Amino acid sequence: MTRAVFTAAALIVLAALPLFVHSNYVLSIAVSGFIFVVCAAALNLIYGFAGLLSFAQLGFWGIGGYVAAIAVIDGRLPFAAGVILAGVATACVALIIGVAILRTNRHAFVIVTLTFALLCALVARDWISVTRGPLGIPGLPPASILGYAFSNPTRFYYLAFAFAVLALGLLYALVTSRIGLLLKAIKQNDALARSQGISPMPYKLMAFVLSAALTGMAGGIYVFHLRVVDPTFLDFYYMQTFLIFVVIGGPGSFWGVVIASALMVSLPEVLRFTNEFRMVIYGVVLVLAMLVIPRGLAGVFHDRRLRAIRAALT
Amino acid sequence: MALLEVLGLCKAYRGVRAVRDTSFHVEPGTITGLIGPNGSGKTTAIDCITGFQKSDAGRVRLGDIDITGRPPERIARAGLLRTFQAVRVYEDFDLMQNLVAVAAPFAGVTGADMLLRRRRFRDAHERTRARAREAIDLVGLTRLIEAPAAILSYGQKKLLALAAVLMANPKLVILDEPVAGVNPTRVNEIADLLRRINRQGTTFLIIEHNVEFIASICDHVLVLDQGRLLTQGPPATIRQDARVLDAYLGREGGRPQNREAVS
Repeated sequence: MTRAVFTAAALIVLAALPLFVHSNYVLSIAVSGFIFVVCAAALNLIYGFAGLLSFAQLGFWGIGGYVAAIAVIDGRLPFAAGVILAGVATACVALIIGVAILRTNRHAFVIVTLTFALLCALVARDWISVTRGPLGIPGLPPASILGYAFSNPTRFYYLAFAFAVLALGLLYALVTSRIGLLLKAIKQNDALARSQGISPMPYKLMAFVLSAALTGMAGGIYVFHLRVVDPTFLDFYYMQTFLIFVVIGGPGSFWGVVIASALMVSLPEVLRFTNEFRMVIYGVVLVLAMLVIPRGLAGVFHDRRLRAIRAALT
Repeated sequence: MALLEVLGLCKAYRGVRAVRDTSFHVEPGTITGLIGPNGSGKTTAIDCITGFQKSDAGRVRLGDIDITGRPPERIARAGLLRTFQAVRVYEDFDLMQNLVAVAAPFAGVTGADMLLRRRRFRDAHERTRARAREAIDLVGLTRLIEAPAAILSYGQKKLLALAAVLMANPKLVILDEPVAGVNPTRVNEIADLLRRINRQGTTFLIIEHNVEFIASICDHVLVLDQGRLLTQGPPATIRQDARVLDAYLGREGGRPQNREAVS
């Protein structure tokens, strides 16, 4: 109940934000926040719930960005079609590689997905006839849907906001359903789940494909925020950002990751008063968080609940 | 007709022949024991029967269904459920979640039903929760129903694993050492519990080292030695059988060759 109230309050504040904040800079940070929180929540689905640490997210992010940009520039498709195509393309790629690599063990999965991400970066740089190579594709037109152009930061803010609400809503419905429970069951004990009649593969594959599609669409929208896509779009910085949000929030906790994303997006801006040191402080906060709360914000609450139950039983 | 029929089962690991041409069957409605010294191939046989290992040869039938070589989840859905020697429960889940995670009560409920919380899912969910409460009650863990499984004792986890298996309305349950490492006072409780569940129509195949326990609850005992079925029969006969005493308990005045001590 309190959770619903907090969520409603947060949605109202975020919806009203552009009425009070006119700084393009702040709105642009917020757009990044909306896009990144979706990617973090998608990574949380595959890593936190299904227990598979996927570095392929970076590749999906890049594929989504390039597919959307190329669809609009070369394919002359509208922006919305480009973003949907980005989602479909990444979903297909995830389906194909997922069928193969989800059969490997968890460690091999990490390595193969990492290799996939690096491969995507190489393709972006070297497949010059399609991606234009290191120069990338500059001069993307403003995003527009049905003739309405999201041409200024306030408008783009609402576009990113709407996308984040829809994507997080879908993920929330999924992880709080029985499917979320079964994903966590498979993550905890694959053999036990199988002995009780649960096939792990369809659940893992679904989580991988959905997290890929959402990450791809997020990438597709984000390139129209940057108005350019080039190989730096596959910089490890993005993967690192998604992963930090998930780890700080607590893998397997929907709200933990959403709240951690909000905090970590705001933190560098809050620290802006001490410009020289802010990234240093960001790093220190990160290291401290890992030392003090190794299982994230959600882990703190979980431990507290466990202690309360133990105390009540003895 | 036998409920479980195992014919000529073979399994070797890197040349070690763990199970060699073993055949046996389990009659419906019984509690059948499977005993044998360490390394006699009991767990390997069970792993092959339940699909966790691929057997090299042999057939396994559950009722009139051939389950040879099927993956474990399909064998479970066919009605053959098992527990594990090193007890497995979902440590992070509470007891209720542990039981509703079982697939069988949700047969016919699709992923879309689950995601959209359709009526079909909600009905199955309600029924399953009610049944889970009964199962938890049956094994005597009601007080802990909202506690995470991680805080349970080893014996309590074994009871939880048993309750989870019962959620599937199994035709046959294979228990891999249900009382090993369990507090002796609790062993009798578990024996009573298994008898009660058996009277309600569930067939059991039980691997155990505790011969007293096996003798007290089993109708029929199978003895494995060095990957082969050594003998079988009612518990009283088995306890007198010289070959069993030799294989299992060790020969008086000297240990049989190439055999580990019985722990």
